[in-house]
Amino acid sequence: MRRLQDPATLEQWREQIRQQQRPEKITVCNGTGCHAYGCEKVTRAFVEELEHQKPGRSIEVKATGCHGFCERGPIVTVYPEGIFYQQVKPEDVSEIVRKTVINKEVLERLLYVDPMTGQRVIHESQVPFYQKQQRLLLGANGLIDPTSIEDYVALGGYGALAKVLYGWSAEEVIAEVKRSGLRGRGGAGFPTGLKWELCRQARSDTKYIICNADEGDPGAYMDRSLLEGNPHSVLEGMIIGAYAIGASRGVIYVRTEYPLAVKNVTRALEQAREYGLLGDRILGADFSFDVEIRRGAGAFVSGEETALIASIEGRKAEPRQRPPYPVQRGLWGKPTVINNVETWANVPLIINQGADWYSRIGTEKSKGTKIFSLVGKIHNTGLVEVPMGITLKEIIYEIGGGIPRGKRFKAVQTGGPSGGCIPAELLNLPIDYERLTEAGSMMGSGGMVVMDEDTCMVDVARYFMDFLRDESCGKCLSCREGTERMFEILSRICAGQGRPSDLELLEELAHAVKETSMCGLGQSAANPVLSTLRYFRKEYEAHILQKRCPAAVCREIVSSPCQHACPIGAEVPVYIALIAHGRFAEALEVVRKDNPLPSVCGRVCHHPCEAKCRAGDGGEPIAIRALKRFLTDHAPSLGAPRRAVFPTGERVAIIGSGPAGLTCAAELAQMGYRPTVFEALPVVGGMLAVGIPEHRLPKKILQADIEAIKALGVTIQTNTALGREITLDGLFAQGYKAVFIATGAHKSVRLNIPNEDAEGVLPAMEFLKAVNLNETVKIGPRVGVIGGGNAAVDAARVARRLPGVESVSMIYRRTRNEMPAFAEEIEAALEEGIAIHYLAAPKRVITEENRVKALECVRMKLGPVESSGRRQPLPIAGSEFTLDLDTLLVAISEQPEIALQDSQIRVSPWGTIVVDPETLATDRPGVFAGGDVVTGPKTVIEAMAAGKIAARSIDQYLRGVPLTPEYALTRPSRYLEPSVLSEDELLTARRPPMPVRSSAERIKDFHEVELGLTEEMAVQEARRCLRCDLEIQKSQAQSAREVIAR
Amino acid sequence: MSVASHMDIDEVITRYHGGRTHLISVLQDLQAEFHWLPPEMLAQVAQKMGVSLAELFGIVTFYKSFRLKPRGKHLITVCMGTACHVRGAPRILRELETQLQISSEETTPDQFCTLETARCLGACALGPIVVCDEEYEGQMTKAKVATLLEHLRKETRP
Repeated sequence: MRRLQDPATLEQWREQIRQQQRPEKITVCNGTGCHAYGCEKVTRAFVEELEHQKPGRSIEVKATGCHGFCERGPIVTVYPEGIFYQQVKPEDVSEIVRKTVINKEVLERLLYVDPMTGQRVIHESQVPFYQKQQRLLLGANGLIDPTSIEDYVALGGYGALAKVLYGWSAEEVIAEVKRSGLRGRGGAGFPTGLKWELCRQARSDTKYIICNADEGDPGAYMDRSLLEGNPHSVLEGMIIGAYAIGASRGVIYVRTEYPLAVKNVTRALEQAREYGLLGDRILGADFSFDVEIRRGAGAFVSGEETALIASIEGRKAEPRQRPPYPVQRGLWGKPTVINNVETWANVPLIINQGADWYSRIGTEKSKGTKIFSLVGKIHNTGLVEVPMGITLKEIIYEIGGGIPRGKRFKAVQTGGPSGGCIPAELLNLPIDYERLTEAGSMMGSGGMVVMDEDTCMVDVARYFMDFLRDESCGKCLSCREGTERMFEILSRICAGQGRPSDLELLEELAHAVKETSMCGLGQSAANPVLSTLRYFRKEYEAHILQKRCPAAVCREIVSSPCQHACPIGAEVPVYIALIAHGRFAEALEVVRKDNPLPSVCGRVCHHPCEAKCRAGDGGEPIAIRALKRFLTDHAPSLGAPRRAVFPTGERVAIIGSGPAGLTCAAELAQMGYRPTVFEALPVVGGMLAVGIPEHRLPKKILQADIEAIKALGVTIQTNTALGREITLDGLFAQGYKAVFIATGAHKSVRLNIPNEDAEGVLPAMEFLKAVNLNETVKIGPRVGVIGGGNAAVDAARVARRLPGVESVSMIYRRTRNEMPAFAEEIEAALEEGIAIHYLAAPKRVITEENRVKALECVRMKLGPVESSGRRQPLPIAGSEFTLDLDTLLVAISEQPEIALQDSQIRVSPWGTIVVDPETLATDRPGVFAGGDVVTGPKTVIEAMAAGKIAARSIDQYLRGVPLTPEYALTRPSRYLEPSVLSEDELLTARRPPMPVRSSAERIKDFHEVELGLTEEMAVQEARRCLRCDLEIQKSQAQSAREVIAR
Repeated sequence: MSVASHMDIDEVITRYHGGRTHLISVLQDLQAEFHWLPPEMLAQVAQKMGVSLAELFGIVTFYKSFRLKPRGKHLITVCMGTACHVRGAPRILRELETQLQISSEETTPDQFCTLETARCLGACALGPIVVCDEEYEGQMTKAKVATLLEHLRKETRP
């Protein structure tokens, strides 16, 4: 091949390549992510299909570098139209060639669907993932074959080099780079131009440059994508840098874990040499420079510049004291500039477009774009290139598409093991070097690991400390020992063995390691600990003080996530294992041991256990609630088991017969006390009786659970209300030794819109209560329901079943995805013909003679993301519309309504009773409160948990011992053999759909909609359980063995 | 167990002209060929390249990628990167350890399989990831671990 002798021959060659290029081509992303999905087979299939189908013209198939949208790989683009196909499989190829390539038809099924609009998108640029990006460096990746220098040259490649070699002095290059404001992309952010200048000024006959491609941060792979996808851009940057500094040799130091990068860079070097772009007299100018590759051997610390130099020199990658800095004494003792891959790739861009253009991108002190690898708990995993100064929120929600499976965002980890975790409160943080450092993290190489509510921050800190103690080179005592000791403390906390003094000790150690270590690894090793302590201290405290891991991750604490997540600690894995073995009666005993309302919970519990079920990671969670119901359906008899107790005879008054009151009463009765439950209404059960409709929880089912509680020795007195028939003072005077107030939250919150008090507008809760109590309800043929929670759906479904009702529509201000009601309830409502107006908010009630006639609504759109992670609904001006209605039911929220004047009980501005959250004690001795009256409207199981805490506190109070909460590691009371599944069963087992009555049939009456699982379904489902409880049992056995072995 | 002859080692050393500074590259090439670095080989490399065995041993134990024990017939690598970690990689590793009855960085006694971990494989979109004999297995679950091992075992049956 010919060597290019001057810029003119380069331009001629470029022109020649461009003329030879064909407009018709098919690109297949061959980046790392797509490789893992099998893009090579797709690429091969295209070549074969084109040969086979013979389109009659020549069409090129190009294996390109990484497009960044790794979530959707393999990615295929058909040119000249630029039709963007995602998740393409080899079997799709024949159809693509036949329809799209030959007949120019778009294949709908392979297009990307915008999750926000539901629209199919034809071009890459229309995909929301790409819209907010500014792909200056990554953009070319999708257009070129990284093994072809021609492709790079056709896009203007090596033009910057020619410009510099023929017209710019070295000083001018340095001045331009300085003026651009480019800073090191490896993480520390040192000004690149200044580094070059210092090296240029160093006196030496030989100088070196190094490209640091030892991308060691876990969760970061942008350097890999650049080297694999566009190696010439990095090389061109290096040659320009070498010219500016006066270096004669360069080294690219690549991780050995990146074989494709090594291959593509090796090839690029050969090609550049062949064309005279590398080697002696580059482009015919009086400048010679060559580059070699060195492979890293797996040591995180080699990313540190002095350690990297040691590694290139063939030694252990141990850092040394600086100064002298590498720009003074670097590789083989000579002045050396080390820059990261992404930094080098920016150089040709700055030379081509100019420093003025470049410095207009970004913030005051951080210029240009930055590539981040957006990974972890995020919808759109991939590489994103954004201008500096963009907010975290824009990256995570607008580019990343938010958190999968409706989970809550918790934190984003940046900067790898040297960085820190940034919490939800800082989502509006504009990203640049300074801001990230102020927030206790750092830019680092650009890893951005998104974490959600299922990520434990203590575990994350422990993970990084494990990494760092292993990767500490050991030279400095503070780093070697400090990371080890911090790891020990974090491990102890994760195992539930933490001590209250541990947090202070951790902080002290962290500061010591930071201040007394020599290199960046040690100096930043404390960051994961300090940043999580700064923002998530409560999570640490929960581990240490309460033996709780809120994310249900730390296995020594949680045993099984379902049991740990259950507010009453039900032994889910035990009863599921018993079901799997067909031992139903025993299983029910296990349920009843902890739960006095099993039939209720088997139907209406919001099942936090299923939300944390590990079978739900990449699959469907076990149908725990349905399994519990199966047991109560097949039960010979119900009720909590009687415990052998010594009756104390002391009387306790419980005000309110909802789930909190009933649970507290059952517990106290089992302890030997004589509890009396006072209920204001004529029926027992509180919200269970009057708030939840018959079609979800039949009265006779509720009654069965209540009868079983009564059988324990609980007295229940209805039609007796606090402030009406009874008072606190009166109860104590009657001889009750303690009181538990659990009166719930029944009062509906107002809408605050005009004409809300018109006839025909009523609170949904009152409507449900009236229907449940068989009272006459005046309701018109057209019913509207405002709200999106379970109460709103309940009200709508009840209205649907009432005679004379013709239509029911719900009005909710956000979209279905944000609706707080159970997904299956929403689905059932839709099946029953209930219309749901999403993104609509009520504006005023239109009346006629003070009777509701219609509702004026305004259309909403989803605006910016709030710190809750939900997008804020905003009214669209002028979008008002009216719904003709006869009845309007309002279900926004409820609050407590209690008569506690002169009772020495403190009430919050929201009408809730103020208690000590750990003991539920009020300010008045002997009086306790719990459930919705304390928390505002929450769930059945949370109210039951409060009942349990209250019972324990009341017992302690009556025994005269200090009120102390008891916390223990979650453990099942027994271990059962796991089920052995065949390979076939493993692959085919699915969560059973709940059998239900048909919608046509069920809207005619109030009978229960869900029919319950059959025995066969229940056993099969129970066999699918992963039995997380056995893991901890195994690990206990293992540690016991280890102790014996010592 | 295959041990390199003097010839092999000489050939690899002469690939690099720089001598001592290419020590790590030489070791990498030898491992690429023999899957591990037997003690006899290390002794020969030390002698031929003029470094003390102590220094050489320091280097091969410092860097994670050098394997000082023979590798099994199959190699399973579990990615322990941050993205995989938050998606449950530790549970996948534990499941493999339980099924294979070995700890990570160990080989089954019958030389059937070696279990290793990696810091980050840079394919985070597919996490948790396991690489089995260079094939990527993405979005791993406990159930997928069982089927993966089942397939490996079947192939090894005569």
